[in-house]
Amino acid sequence: MSQYAMVIDLEKCVGCHACAIACRAEWEVPVGKDSEGREQHRCWVQRLGPAKTPHGLSYTYYPGLCNHCDEPSCVAACPYDLETRTFVDPVTGKKVTMEVSATWKDPFDGTVQINKEVCWGCGACADACPYGARYVNEEGEDPKADKCTFCVERLAVGKEPACVQTCLAGARIFGDLSDPDSEVSKYVKKGAVGLESSAVKIGPNVLYFGNKRDMSLLKSTCTPLTMPVADINTRRLLMGRLAKSSFKGLKNFALIGMVGGLMIENASDKDSEE
Amino acid sequence: MAINLTRRKFLQSATCAAAAIPFARMAKAEDNFVRKPYVAPGSFAGTKSVTGGICGMCFWRCQLVGKVRDGKLIKLEGNPKSIDNGKSICARGNAGIKLLYDPDRLKYPMKNIGKRGAPVWKRISWEEALDECASRMNAIIDEYDETALSIFPHGSSAKYPMEFFEYVVGTPNNSEASFFQCRGARDMAYLNTIGAPADEDVDMPNAKAIFMLGTHLGENVHVSHLKKYLKGLENGAKLIVVDPRFSSSAAKADIWVQIKPGTDTAFLVAIMNYLVKEEKYDEDYVDFYGYGFEEFVEGISHATLDWAAKICDVPAKQIKQVADLLAENAPNVSIHPGRHTSWSGNDFQRERGLACLTALLGTIGVKGGFVKPVNPKVGRCGWPRLVNPHEDSLHYLAHKYPYSPPGTPTDLIRETALSGDPYPIKGMIVWGQNPMQTIPDQQLTIKMIEKMDFVMVCDVMPTDITMYADILLPETCYLERYDYVKKGTQWDYSQPHQQYISARVPLVSPTAADHERKDSVWITNELAKRMDYEEEIPVKTSKEMVENILAGAGLSLKQLEQEDGIHIQPGQDPYDVQYDVSFYNSSVAEAGFPGAPTYLPCPQPPKGHARLIYGRVPVHSFNRTQNNAWLYNEIPRNPVWINDEVATTMGLKDGDEISLVNEVGIESASSSILKTTPGIRKDVIYTSHGYGSRNPQLSIGVNAGIDDNALISARTIDPETGTHGMRNSFVRIIKQGKILDIPA
Amino acid sequence: MAQCSTVEKPQNEIIMRLAGWLKFMAQSMEYPDPCWLTADHLQLLYSLLDDLGWSKELESLPSQDEILSEPGMTALQVEYTRLFINAIPHVIAPAYGSIYTDSEGILFGPSAEKTKQFYHQQGFDLRGSNDIPDHLNHELRFVSILLQDEKLCEAEQFLTEHFHTWFHQFHDRVVEKSRHPYYRVMVELINFFTTEDNEHGN
Repeated sequence: MSQYAMVIDLEKCVGCHACAIACRAEWEVPVGKDSEGREQHRCWVQRLGPAKTPHGLSYTYYPGLCNHCDEPSCVAACPYDLETRTFVDPVTGKKVTMEVSATWKDPFDGTVQINKEVCWGCGACADACPYGARYVNEEGEDPKADKCTFCVERLAVGKEPACVQTCLAGARIFGDLSDPDSEVSKYVKKGAVGLESSAVKIGPNVLYFGNKRDMSLLKSTCTPLTMPVADINTRRLLMGRLAKSSFKGLKNFALIGMVGGLMIENASDKDSEE
Repeated sequence: MAINLTRRKFLQSATCAAAAIPFARMAKAEDNFVRKPYVAPGSFAGTKSVTGGICGMCFWRCQLVGKVRDGKLIKLEGNPKSIDNGKSICARGNAGIKLLYDPDRLKYPMKNIGKRGAPVWKRISWEEALDECASRMNAIIDEYDETALSIFPHGSSAKYPMEFFEYVVGTPNNSEASFFQCRGARDMAYLNTIGAPADEDVDMPNAKAIFMLGTHLGENVHVSHLKKYLKGLENGAKLIVVDPRFSSSAAKADIWVQIKPGTDTAFLVAIMNYLVKEEKYDEDYVDFYGYGFEEFVEGISHATLDWAAKICDVPAKQIKQVADLLAENAPNVSIHPGRHTSWSGNDFQRERGLACLTALLGTIGVKGGFVKPVNPKVGRCGWPRLVNPHEDSLHYLAHKYPYSPPGTPTDLIRETALSGDPYPIKGMIVWGQNPMQTIPDQQLTIKMIEKMDFVMVCDVMPTDITMYADILLPETCYLERYDYVKKGTQWDYSQPHQQYISARVPLVSPTAADHERKDSVWITNELAKRMDYEEEIPVKTSKEMVENILAGAGLSLKQLEQEDGIHIQPGQDPYDVQYDVSFYNSSVAEAGFPGAPTYLPCPQPPKGHARLIYGRVPVHSFNRTQNNAWLYNEIPRNPVWINDEVATTMGLKDGDEISLVNEVGIESASSSILKTTPGIRKDVIYTSHGYGSRNPQLSIGVNAGIDDNALISARTIDPETGTHGMRNSFVRIIKQGKILDIPA
Repeated sequence: MAQCSTVEKPQNEIIMRLAGWLKFMAQSMEYPDPCWLTADHLQLLYSLLDDLGWSKELESLPSQDEILSEPGMTALQVEYTRLFINAIPHVIAPAYGSIYTDSEGILFGPSAEKTKQFYHQQGFDLRGSNDIPDHLNHELRFVSILLQDEKLCEAEQFLTEHFHTWFHQFHDRVVEKSRHPYYRVMVELINFFTTEDNEHGN
């Protein structure tokens, strides 16, 4: 199985923010915050420092995006009922059948994807991400979770991810970790690492490389130190959100049991849409 | 009591007169409708790629491809055929589509029927607008003279009108911002040292050492220039950055010299004196090409390392370290000439110092050194030079600023407009420039405007200056017009030599149902017709102008289109071009200025104040991008940098909401956030330029950040060139209404 | 998806009148110019308000002579410019849908693209290939055309999915910020003619 990965080389990165804007343009990502206060972004650049580190003054950047983790906490958090789905490897034609909810880790390329046709936009996945890589896009008819897809749609037609293409410094390196000769694998050998802490070890596949002082500043300011707390009353919370949101399509879903009862309960509160 | 009818009742009633309006065309067959969630399709599917774009978000002019879907430009990308920027463009380039679809863009000619500065806009026709502009300018010329007009241009589209007013109508009063508030001192200094303008022509990819005074690449982004710099670093070049602040390039430097602002010339002459005394300079080059070397050596002999160390507030050891590093790596050293060099009012001398250092180390014409590209030749197309108005230029008449760049020093124009001496200035034409945020001492600019009989402004977006227009004209933006022919070479001279030629062509049509924007060639021609210069019009349209320029290279727009917008041809080796070098310039000395590069102190902050310095952020180009939602979102306000120890002493914290007040009591109209950091000198406050656009009629929208230019009221003028020094204003901090002294 | 109603269809004449009034509204929202803003046009407006019983609105408007005079026409033009073209620091109520519905307040936002797709699906296109599809005038005229072709379903669908998503915000801005009664009255009239009876508030 491949594992797509991205390496950010801070020695080259100049913090120009082109990647953040190119991604917005490519995928029509709205600016501002969603209704739960999350920054709406698939790809972002934070400016760090100048600050003292044990290795000297550092002024560097945190270009961030979905890490397409080995053990994605977002996938586990999705409340959508599991469905059986068959995946086909576009290269070998090999088939894999899995049970997936509205979001999953691709069995062939290791990327984490969202099925927009079934996603409820409840935001549980966004809340479960320690990196803040997901948000809920409320621009369309119905809210949908959204995040970086590693531009697999562009890859499929022979193009690079939009952020990689626009990077004038060549600081974003994209490739397959399962290939020991790939650039990303070479960076791993040179010491590129993901942002992990003792409590957050879900195997990020976006790796950072830089000199000692920059890596020190990056790690000390941008590493998530805790996993988001799982809500025992997740279902009630989610249903509350669904009722609150302008989810027009809900009545079109034949959601038996879990949702149906609550819909009747909340019908008088919810703003009627039609 | 009103009877509110329902719509149905009303339509059914017999009392209303059915409108006898002819109806439109018949409908075609219906389609069925499918409900699908909206998923952004991406730029690569269902789009047309349109080549020939040249970016206009800043002035580096990267080559673009536009992705168009069903009449909408959805994304801009670098043209992969480009040997300049390649497939990459920067944040501003990517955000260009937000300019195209900005609802605040100027759309129609407008007339101010209220007071100048507090406008009441009325949309008028082009006919009316042009008639009025021409008649009012004609009236000024008739009553006074052509010299009563002044022009404030900026950008590629302003070239055509600028040349019309300067060389056809005949006014010398051209305040070109790119000279008088930016590059002027640099180019004049290099012209008077090596006989050629500097541009930024250092061969960084192939350098063993790169030396930068203040240049903050990364915060300042010009795509191919950054590629050169990064290539040099990748190839192992040592980087020396001299800056009071730990800038984006200081962060990548091997040596950071945290210099006291305004003292860079002392630093340079001390280095050169050391190199001469230690015989660590290129004696052969000096022998062959140097002039006035003995007087030069004499002129800098006082500049010991200790002398400079005291002035610059850096260790003498470090100055020696820098000098030795440059000498060790000579001649393959890039002494970066800088770009925005209007700092302290002593800038000609500093730039002369850089030019001399460039020559002293023998870096001219060699790998990694000062090497100008061999650009392809193209045709020329523009107004004929009917008159040379510069015999009447103010600096000539006043016997001042003998080394002024082309045009007329801004300050002389303003002073003359107010005094009427030596002649009246009554008309102001502003084209693509925002004098309010460009020129120091905003109050003086406003006073000048108030004295004008007529103010005409042409621009793409409303800015501070547009509020002062009598007639405001809407220009097409860079995505909608023909104008600039971009030519150059590959950015790495170690690669096979190639040249390119491309032309800015529209990526979307400028004509639409909801606006009437025009390009500068059309507008200027229409004015020319009404000012009795119809016979002199060189081209009818901007497209024709571009065709003529391309024809000079044997090319055409059609051919360029077939070549994906960029023509590439074999180039020429640019190395081994030598220049005669005036180390000591006797003409400069005869004119009454120091003949050898000389340190001249600049004003110092009064007690309790720190010097205000400024720079760029990579997401903005001056203030022209402030209304852009994507760029605004990246860095919404300009943080104000202060030394963290100083902040602690003052009881300030990182993130505090503050505003600034300068040494003559001018307060910033809005506030920003404080950024406390060890990466800045204690006697300096830094922020980024272009924020805090002032609007007295604030109704919707927020004044984001602080306008640095409002605080730059000190007018220090470089005596040789007449260019502005803009870092001689000093500030204190205001927190919660209280003014706090800065213990520097 | 909108379902065509199985209750009685309104008479053809009613639909044609509605179509006519929508077209009248679109015209009334163009830049004030004596070539279309004539005595006849104003008389139609005054009679309309009178027949509706909107006496307050009728009285708020200047007289025909006032509007058609030079200062009166200029006042309207200045107000139009201020509300819909350029103002300081920002244009006040640009008459394009995506300004209000899309998070960045930009022209030709994703919702405008969807509006253009709707035009195409109905077999129409804008005259200019780069024209911004969701301008108020385009949308009003489009609904008028659909009604003339008796495409009631599609007209109501368009109003629900493309027009009302933004018109109320536009309406509120004009009512709040306008200094001239003419545009306040116009947006009230547009609201009246584009809203189902049972959705009317008080």
